[in-house]
Amino acid sequence: MQINIQNVSMTYPNGKQALKDLSLDLRSPSLVGLLGPNGAGKSTLMKLLVAALLPTDGSIRVDGTPLARAERQYKARLGYLPQDFGLFDELTAVQFLDYMAALKGLREPKEAIRNAVCAVGLEEKAHARIRTLSGGQRQRVGIAQALLGDPALLIFDEPTVGLDPEERIRFRTLFSHTAQDRLVLLSTHIIEDVQSVCDQIVVLDRGRALFAGTPAELIHTAEGHVGAFWERDAARTQQLHITARVNTAQGIRCRAVADALPPYVQPEEPSLEDAYLYLISREAV
Amino acid sequence: MRTIRLFPLELGRLLRSRMTWLVILLAVLSPAAGLTLYQPAYADTMLSLYLADPALAGGAAGGILFGLLTIFELDRAGRSRVDLLTDAVISPLSMALARLSALMAAAALTAGLAALAWLPASRALIGAVFTGSDYALAYLLFFGLALPLSILAAGAAYQFTRRADLSLVLFAAFAGLSFTVWADDWQLCWLNPNVWAMSDDFSNFRLFRCVAYMRLTWLAALAGLWSISYLCIRRYGKGLLGSLARCARRAYRPAIALLLLACSGAACAAQPFYDDSNPDLTAMELYELESAEQVVFLERTIQVFPDTSAGTVAGRAVYRFQNASGQPRTICFGVNPGYSLSARANGAQVSAVRSGYEESNMALWEVAIPGDQTVELELEYGGFPKDWNISSTTQGDPEISGTYLCLENQNLAPYLLNVLPGEAGYPTTVEITLPAAMTAVPFGSSDAEVTAEAEDGARTWRYTCNSLGGILYAGDYIREDIEAGGITIQFYYGRKHRAVMEAAGAADAVKAVVDYCAGHYGPLSFGAGGALKLVQSRVAGGGYATDGASLLDEADFTAANLGDAGKGAGAGEVMIHELVHQWWGLGNMFDVPEEGSPWSAEGLTVYTTYRIVKELYGEAYAQEHYADQWRREVEDYYLNFYVRHPEYLEKLPQEERLTISNSLSQVRRYCEMPLKLLRAEALVGGEEAMDQILHDLFNREIDYTYPYLTYQDFLDACGLTEEALDLG
Repeated sequence: MQINIQNVSMTYPNGKQALKDLSLDLRSPSLVGLLGPNGAGKSTLMKLLVAALLPTDGSIRVDGTPLARAERQYKARLGYLPQDFGLFDELTAVQFLDYMAALKGLREPKEAIRNAVCAVGLEEKAHARIRTLSGGQRQRVGIAQALLGDPALLIFDEPTVGLDPEERIRFRTLFSHTAQDRLVLLSTHIIEDVQSVCDQIVVLDRGRALFAGTPAELIHTAEGHVGAFWERDAARTQQLHITARVNTAQGIRCRAVADALPPYVQPEEPSLEDAYLYLISREAV
Repeated sequence: MRTIRLFPLELGRLLRSRMTWLVILLAVLSPAAGLTLYQPAYADTMLSLYLADPALAGGAAGGILFGLLTIFELDRAGRSRVDLLTDAVISPLSMALARLSALMAAAALTAGLAALAWLPASRALIGAVFTGSDYALAYLLFFGLALPLSILAAGAAYQFTRRADLSLVLFAAFAGLSFTVWADDWQLCWLNPNVWAMSDDFSNFRLFRCVAYMRLTWLAALAGLWSISYLCIRRYGKGLLGSLARCARRAYRPAIALLLLACSGAACAAQPFYDDSNPDLTAMELYELESAEQVVFLERTIQVFPDTSAGTVAGRAVYRFQNASGQPRTICFGVNPGYSLSARANGAQVSAVRSGYEESNMALWEVAIPGDQTVELELEYGGFPKDWNISSTTQGDPEISGTYLCLENQNLAPYLLNVLPGEAGYPTTVEITLPAAMTAVPFGSSDAEVTAEAEDGARTWRYTCNSLGGILYAGDYIREDIEAGGITIQFYYGRKHRAVMEAAGAADAVKAVVDYCAGHYGPLSFGAGGALKLVQSRVAGGGYATDGASLLDEADFTAANLGDAGKGAGAGEVMIHELVHQWWGLGNMFDVPEEGSPWSAEGLTVYTTYRIVKELYGEAYAQEHYADQWRREVEDYYLNFYVRHPEYLEKLPQEERLTISNSLSQVRRYCEMPLKLLRAEALVGGEEAMDQILHDLFNREIDYTYPYLTYQDFLDACGLTEEALDLG
């Protein structure tokens, strides 16, 4: 699958411009991490990609066909997990998955449901009413419904929210495995999730794409712009963007990004988080 | 296709919801309200009490419940944010159709369950006059169709507003209109159709047709409205108008919506059941038309061919006139507004023009006749008869079916308005062709005879009469000839009512009453010519009489009424009571007294029933079952708080006040007045003296400007004052 986002702008009826002239190329197989601060336009982009919104300008093409023209066929190849989704509480997890499988028009729903339930580790609660499930278990049902039918495009919005660390690792692995033969778009605030599994990263801020490339490329942009210093040594920190402060026996050790590191700052190897923060801080200046 | 595939899925999900089953359960139970709380069908027939009322109550309550369920179901997808998942899979438009279909299926299931659940109870309560077709149609039309209308209305409200609270307010207002402002308009009261009575013994096809027509008209209207709201389902983050504009790009969608609304509007405007008669009931324009100069009526022959399956009439009426003017003349006819008419005079087509004016359920037609000396005017007419618009809240007439029909005046044949009779009056021959099971009963002294029988059993009946109008009853009647009071009573009652009539000893009661009343008070004025037809009619809200015939409303002879202990100790005695009304009530009409007066036809009727029972079963029996009971009731009545302190009755809420005052009025008419008559009997010198007084009153010279028998007339005849009969 190949998705071409060409000069897409989106302005809401209230006048708020959420995306400005955004252009991206996404193609499978790939696991794309979508990063950006609140209000950057990530959710709007996702809604555009699931055809819940229409761009006010520009176009989105799926395998060369405008999305608006092939919406039904496109949706049949889509698995989507929104951030604040809901479930029918009176159904069991399997009944709900059966319902979603039928909506998707799956021909072998039982097998698809079994696979999805296994993939998210929900076997024990498969026949429990959804109203009895914990937040993490409901999240797993949500992920399972997205996986139903092996869709060619998977879009996950904050999929690991509510999951414990062990589950997060499990799902990272699952996403990574899933992305081997399809396109997976992962929007998250947890850089760690992105860092460990994504082969592509898109950073959005204020409706614009600040970066689109591999994690290594993003990290590379921050090389020479990340450093550490003792807080007591810092005469002025105005030019620095402090990303971490750690109390140690010798005092408070700060980690910061900046276009030009002051002399008292010792350069450090940038992490993906540093690179992301550097990118955002540079934009904010 | 997608919606069809989604339908079982959505239905399955809907039926897994506890809320759905709660609504279904309440809707299935809601006909119980029709037995107690909500009884819009106020006639006393068994089907009115135990079928129409429960089905109507169930329809109203079920409709409201399904409206609420619809809003709940449509809102919950958004409220619980499941729509974020489903909308990413399929179009919200497809989902809306699937949800609507599922709700409709749940409604159909509910109607079916309600009909099944209430079948045994209804069958037991209705008794011998129960029929499956009436039951099925009542539950389909009164109950079942209320549910989809509510679903469409509530669904449209939600799809327009996308707010549950606002949708509830809109739906409540729409339902409320049906029970208030629109309640008296048979086309508008979408949730609670105007059903005042169902016939036990005869058919209810006209009533069912009226209700079906109203329901289907609304179904088209609400489907149209829903279709427009469907176009407004929010998509792509757009508002109402943006979604509408986008959705309406496929032209067939708004076209379907507009077509449905247009169909509904056309159906409403072209309704075939009620006419547009002048609402001024004092208007007499049709009866004050100038007579056609020098034209005289000679005779007429009418041939009527009712189509009992379609409820229509086709007829041919041949009028013979003498036209001494030598000039063409315009003859005016009053024709049922549902009929069309064509005319030929002396073999040539002549102009027949409908004027557009309607009065008293007649459309004015003007027919041109030539200036020939003798004119034979042949009118071909027919159609689906319309009822007078003043009767639109009492649906059911004129009934034309395979078990019953009643054709009155302009429904039977064009009514001549402006030609004077010749020396012979209005000699008329009527022929009517009816299905084999039906017996023709001309309402009057004429007797109908069979003149031909077709291969399919259809029989042609012929009778003659001498009048401009005329009423013809026909039905699946049993006729019993009873010699009583020196005349032959031709007693016609519906075959379906046979078991009830036999159990009540109807024939014996007729004989006893006629013998007694004719002997004590004198023969009925309308029982002339040595014969009197007593014809049981379809429920009509009362009886009436003419020369040689008197009508018995079937509502007076239901099993429930015949078991009314206030009227008689047993079914046979209630039958006697109802027949005594031929003398007191029909033979002599009573004025409507002021509130609080015990005077009515019931008092003398109950008293006469007591006298007949006393003669039949002895004094002790009559004393125990009548006089002693009246005394007990009246003693309680005088002790009643509200009788002693009527000022407190006025302070009660209207509904409660009416219940109490109706109950008190019942005691006054059925117990207090008979007791007063017993006292009067004692004061005037005993039974014989009272019989003579009543005889004289019954045969008094009627003042036709005020033909009613008043309390004062009675007191004057007894030489008593009102105070003398005071029982307190």
